[in-house]
Amino acid sequence: METTDILFNEGHTLEHLSHYLPSQLTLKDFVHHNSLHSFQDKEFFDGIFSASKIFGIQVTFNLNEYRKLHGQGRIRMDIIDRVIVQQKGTLNLQKYRQKMLSGSYKHEYNPRIGRLREKWKDQYKVNLDDLVQPLLFRIIGSYLDQGIAIWHFPFEDKGLINAVKILEENSMTSFFKTKRAKTLLFSQDLSIEKLLEILVGNASYYENYLFDQQFAHKGWSGLVAAIEGTPETLFYRKKIHLKDFILLELLMEIDALNKTLGKHWKPLAVGYQDHAESYFAKVEQEELQDILKLWQEAFEWDYYDEVLSGVGHLAKTNRIPPREKQSFQALFCVDDRECSLRRHLEYVDPKCETLGAPGFYGAAIYFQPYKAQFYEKNCPVTITPKHLIKEIEVSKERGHEVLHSKQSHTFFKGFLYAMALGLWSGFRMIRDLFSPKMRPDIADAFSHMDINGKLKVENSDPNEKENGLQVGYQIEEMADIVESLLKGVGLVDHFTDLVYVVAHGSSSANNPHHGAHDCGACSGRPGAVNARVFTFMANHSKVRVILETKGIIIPDKTQFIPAMHDTASDEIGFYDEEILFSENERQHRLHRKTFENALDINAKERARRFASIDISKDIKHIRNEIKKRSVSYFEPRPELGHGSNALCHVGSREKIKGLFLDRRAFLQSYDYRTDPDGEVLLQVLSPLPAVCGGINLEYYFSRMDIEKMGAGTKLPHNVMGLIGVANSSDGDLRPGLPLQMIENHDPVRLLMMVEHRPEIVLKTIKSSKEMYDWFDKGWLHLLAISPEDGNLYHFQDGAFVLYEPISKILETDDILKVIETAEEMKTNHIIDTTKENIPVHIYPDKN
Amino acid sequence: MNALLPILLIAPLISLLVGFSFSNKDEKAIYTTSVLGVLLNFVILIILLIVYIYNGFEHMRFAGPILYHSSETDLGLSLFLDGYGLAYMLIATFLTGIIVVFSKNYIHREKGYKRFFNNIKFFYSGLMLVLLADNLETLFVGWEVLGVTSFFLIGFYRERYLPVKNALKVVSLYRVADIALLLAIWVTHHYFGRSISFFDFEGFQGSESHILNETFYQFAIPGFILIAAIVKSAQFPFSSWLPRAMEGPTTSSAIFYGSLSVHIGVFLMIRTAPFWEENITFRILIGVIGLITCIMATLTSRVQSSIKTQIAYSSIAQIGFMFIEVALGFYWFAIFHFASNAFFRSYQLLLSPSVLGYRIHEQLFHFVPPEPQSTNGFWSKIKLSIYILSIKEFNLDTFMYRFLWNPLKKTGNAFRFISTKSLLFMTVPLFIVGLYTVYNQEILPEPLLHYLPEAYAGLGLVLILKSFVERDSVLSSWLLILMNQLYLSLAFGFNEEFDFNQIHIFLSGIILAAALGVWIILRLKKKGEDVSLNQFQGHSFEYPRLAFLFVIACLAMAGFPITPTFIGEDLMLGHIHENQFPLLLLMVLNLILDGLVIFRIYSRLFLGKHKKGYHEFANRSS
Repeated sequence: METTDILFNEGHTLEHLSHYLPSQLTLKDFVHHNSLHSFQDKEFFDGIFSASKIFGIQVTFNLNEYRKLHGQGRIRMDIIDRVIVQQKGTLNLQKYRQKMLSGSYKHEYNPRIGRLREKWKDQYKVNLDDLVQPLLFRIIGSYLDQGIAIWHFPFEDKGLINAVKILEENSMTSFFKTKRAKTLLFSQDLSIEKLLEILVGNASYYENYLFDQQFAHKGWSGLVAAIEGTPETLFYRKKIHLKDFILLELLMEIDALNKTLGKHWKPLAVGYQDHAESYFAKVEQEELQDILKLWQEAFEWDYYDEVLSGVGHLAKTNRIPPREKQSFQALFCVDDRECSLRRHLEYVDPKCETLGAPGFYGAAIYFQPYKAQFYEKNCPVTITPKHLIKEIEVSKERGHEVLHSKQSHTFFKGFLYAMALGLWSGFRMIRDLFSPKMRPDIADAFSHMDINGKLKVENSDPNEKENGLQVGYQIEEMADIVESLLKGVGLVDHFTDLVYVVAHGSSSANNPHHGAHDCGACSGRPGAVNARVFTFMANHSKVRVILETKGIIIPDKTQFIPAMHDTASDEIGFYDEEILFSENERQHRLHRKTFENALDINAKERARRFASIDISKDIKHIRNEIKKRSVSYFEPRPELGHGSNALCHVGSREKIKGLFLDRRAFLQSYDYRTDPDGEVLLQVLSPLPAVCGGINLEYYFSRMDIEKMGAGTKLPHNVMGLIGVANSSDGDLRPGLPLQMIENHDPVRLLMMVEHRPEIVLKTIKSSKEMYDWFDKGWLHLLAISPEDGNLYHFQDGAFVLYEPISKILETDDILKVIETAEEMKTNHIIDTTKENIPVHIYPDKN
Repeated sequence: MNALLPILLIAPLISLLVGFSFSNKDEKAIYTTSVLGVLLNFVILIILLIVYIYNGFEHMRFAGPILYHSSETDLGLSLFLDGYGLAYMLIATFLTGIIVVFSKNYIHREKGYKRFFNNIKFFYSGLMLVLLADNLETLFVGWEVLGVTSFFLIGFYRERYLPVKNALKVVSLYRVADIALLLAIWVTHHYFGRSISFFDFEGFQGSESHILNETFYQFAIPGFILIAAIVKSAQFPFSSWLPRAMEGPTTSSAIFYGSLSVHIGVFLMIRTAPFWEENITFRILIGVIGLITCIMATLTSRVQSSIKTQIAYSSIAQIGFMFIEVALGFYWFAIFHFASNAFFRSYQLLLSPSVLGYRIHEQLFHFVPPEPQSTNGFWSKIKLSIYILSIKEFNLDTFMYRFLWNPLKKTGNAFRFISTKSLLFMTVPLFIVGLYTVYNQEILPEPLLHYLPEAYAGLGLVLILKSFVERDSVLSSWLLILMNQLYLSLAFGFNEEFDFNQIHIFLSGIILAAALGVWIILRLKKKGEDVSLNQFQGHSFEYPRLAFLFVIACLAMAGFPITPTFIGEDLMLGHIHENQFPLLLLMVLNLILDGLVIFRIYSRLFLGKHKKGYHEFANRSS
């Protein structure tokens, strides 16, 4: 057994704690990430099962559920066999079959975290959580509050403990009930160690005790740690350290013990043996875990295999992309939600070409809206931008919403508000119920940046800096960005007159988690700014001159036009249309119609998952209903976000045209022909694991344990301090995704399919340790589609192995019909939800 | 037109009964039934409004069936409609309708879709009954329905710890309000010698001769009513339950705790105004409570960092103001204030999740760092002291524990020396002896007979206290409740005016309920489930049907209205004499504890985190 050697090292323990606590920032900065990032140094299953044992979370379905899924045909027998053979060898096939299908195992729920602190209950019959947490949450909530309270926590710039000290010193009342805690607070040598000596009394148990204590409310502790690491996540800055928070809690615990037990208590671990077992000591996996692993693999491969049959089939048909006489090109975000819109665009106008790239389009920026006091980060969370884009002119003012006025909570004004607005709210309720429309308190994707506003994209003076950020881009920087993006997606010639750069955002009402629906590559914000910045660069004549020297010749009549797709309301908005040449404008009008028609069908496809919409109705009616959802206060599912995401294709769109993937794939364009040695590939792949893998794994864990990893159902959520949500007035913050976002999700790891020769792909991923680990440790699956022969190679144990799919390929003549007649889930249990996914189909492509 | 009044009750009740027949997946049917029920009521109310105005604001009365008749009491279900009631009903029906429509998509695919709508309808029927009641007894029935549905809606997410804990907390407080109202009924019975009808009620006139002096009645009757009103309206010192009640889906919080349920105390005061209108001292008392609440709630609301809690406290402050208005006699103004506040606060609550995006956006453009707080001078000291107090909600949340539950627990623990089982064995023969002597009272000497009611009520109290602190065997705890109820009936039996009939009504209810409960517990045991009381078992996860049956058993055990137990309880209380304060006190404690223990047993057995960890469940603190 491993034991902690150094008895207690405060700094080390704090670091350890921050590492394991949830790292979600405030809700305004919602960025998807692997919720178990702290276990990512381990192999996937080893990591998640360890986490499961340590924290008591669910990381897979239970045996019964897998067996039911098998029973209803979701996990096929031949896939199970294949997984067993691959992992356990042919000899063990029968044995493991029996174990998987009918073996009986005892499930034990006995998490490591919490065991020590539990002893207070056993030994003294005191429940410290009940005694301490309500007031503790209230204090930390008030301290970090961004603007709900009218009377804010004083001395918030001094640090939590100091603020409490000043408060206690200068008031006649106290947070503490006993003198002892107060004396300790003011003692010169106040330290975690000293307080732990009083509470625990045995140094080798200190770290475990702190883990128990902090994980009893991992929501608040996680947020405190996250703010400590990223203070700019608060507009109203607060000085906060996890250390202070722990000190306060320890003091309150001593206070509570003294109050309830008087002097009749001793440190908890006094008589204990001298070596505490570390909670993070290696977890021995039992056979049950082994069986669950096989089941989960089979659950995943059952779906992947279906996909790969289709992909392999199309790869072998060896189509040569024609890129000639095209009507327009449109660049979309890799986002899985754009997968269907692109399909419908190609259906409405078979001559158009769609491409995909991470939706910040190379412009890693901070954005400052007009007159805003703060910057917003608009790029993947792993990048630290060096550039600032300012909005310098807007066309309209933002509206106000009296219902959210702080004044309504004061006494006299509250009275006047209630009297004056009471009956009016009655009428508004009816109106909002039966004909909802956009209001100032609804998160509107198009209001992030004024649709007619002006941006300062070009840097006029290299010395023009704000807070260390360069304002705007210089010509050379622009050329670099445009070059690398165009080369990455393989769009280097045959430009059409109009190239649309389509960002995406999402509008939703009454939804604190709206950031989770926006663009993941833009740190959870609408990406219109980035699209506009990119098109400005690509349209810039000086930039084009430089690009010509690099071999990218963009014809003069080609114009890049920014746009944004609202993934909830299925509307599209175009920006900077005034720059269009008159000939292009005429074409643009036609293309707008194409977009509108494609959005109609897209709305219909999405509507199949919404119980409130009858998809047999007229398509315009459906579109209108979809729009209404995005502005309805009573609609907890304005859209389903990334629910059901499972795939990521990196390669030519042409190769998978005609493959129906049911909005489950991230699509990154990449042309292996322009990059025979894989030089561009690394740069194309590098943002994908964090962005797509982050989304995928967050959905995975929230789905597997909606209560401990996810945020639970959002219906009772209560907004705390504008920074997070909790369930009750006395509850802990709830990080993770709410039930309404993940219920239709089949938790499978992301399968990344790269179109290139396996040796090139291998070389590429090996060149970055960080990326290699994602695949090598199994947090993502990787597959190479060999362009020459269409063979598929699966990456396992450090090498690519030929993969031969066994699933039959479903074909259809009318994919829309398939969508219309798809099944709808009856409950949100996995047994039912998985039926809602449409199997992979091959349909005739008009091209 | 008076015949329309009962339809206002029948429509939601039918809609409720029909609602039971659907499965949770039939969302459309559940929703449609609910909407139809409320819509029908709304139409009737509009008709009634027109009739009411047309007839020159003439009050209406509907004499309902007599539930129980005896020489000294008539327990009738009569209805009564006046302007205040009509206004409240219109607002309530409108808001309920809005919430039902709002919830259609909002609650979609929630595990408790059906449960949610059934509770809303049950709540709504109860509310209608309170608003239409012609006498305090009828009103009490509705009042209890509000309490019980509150318990279920607060504990809607029954697999999590906090909702269950808070549901218990709130329902225990409600129990205090219920008993207060019951006592008010008791005093009025003695004062008037009959059940009073609001329709022709004109205050303290036409009373019979009575034992105690007049002032006692003039304060006791409205006093008990006032306690009931301030508990339900979250007035000082009972305010802290309101924010903690907001555990269910936002829609139910909006309708109950944002508007309809929490304002009912104001209505109760207006309804019973003839009892205290002439009493200036009492009016001042109402006003002072309102004023203290205003100050306390406004301060607390100012420091809240959670939006629903903030709205709850601002609403409480406004209700405090309504109490002042009522004290001043501005009833119509109070009703108007109620309407505005109800609409406004419930809409604020419904839209409360929007506050995050909206205010963050506002901050992005208009953030002004607040002025630093000074520490100089006496005023700063006062300010900071108040700040800390407000953060702690003026200690109101711990208040109930400190002054009521903890002493009870301590007393119960004092009897630790007797084991529960031996207590049961001891009390059964004692009961049989008692039962025999009740029927043959002549065999006992007169002076002894005099003390027997108190003795049996006292023994009953010991039993229920024991049940209250029982940590292991649910069966013992449950049987102790039964024994307690039996002892109470003996206590009544020995009290002078003895009516076998009434005791039989009471006992028939109790024994059936107890038997049902025992059957359910045994069934769980047989399935190999843990049924001890030392932790939440969460059996509703696997046995939702048994959970539902057990609820019925519990309600009957607790003397919930419409069960025979209730009628018995109400009748028997009537037999305690005005001057029998010790007996009264014992009875009241017994009744309060009964309710607590029964709700506790139900919660421990069926609610909370499911003990078997094979599926996901929330952390205790979530």
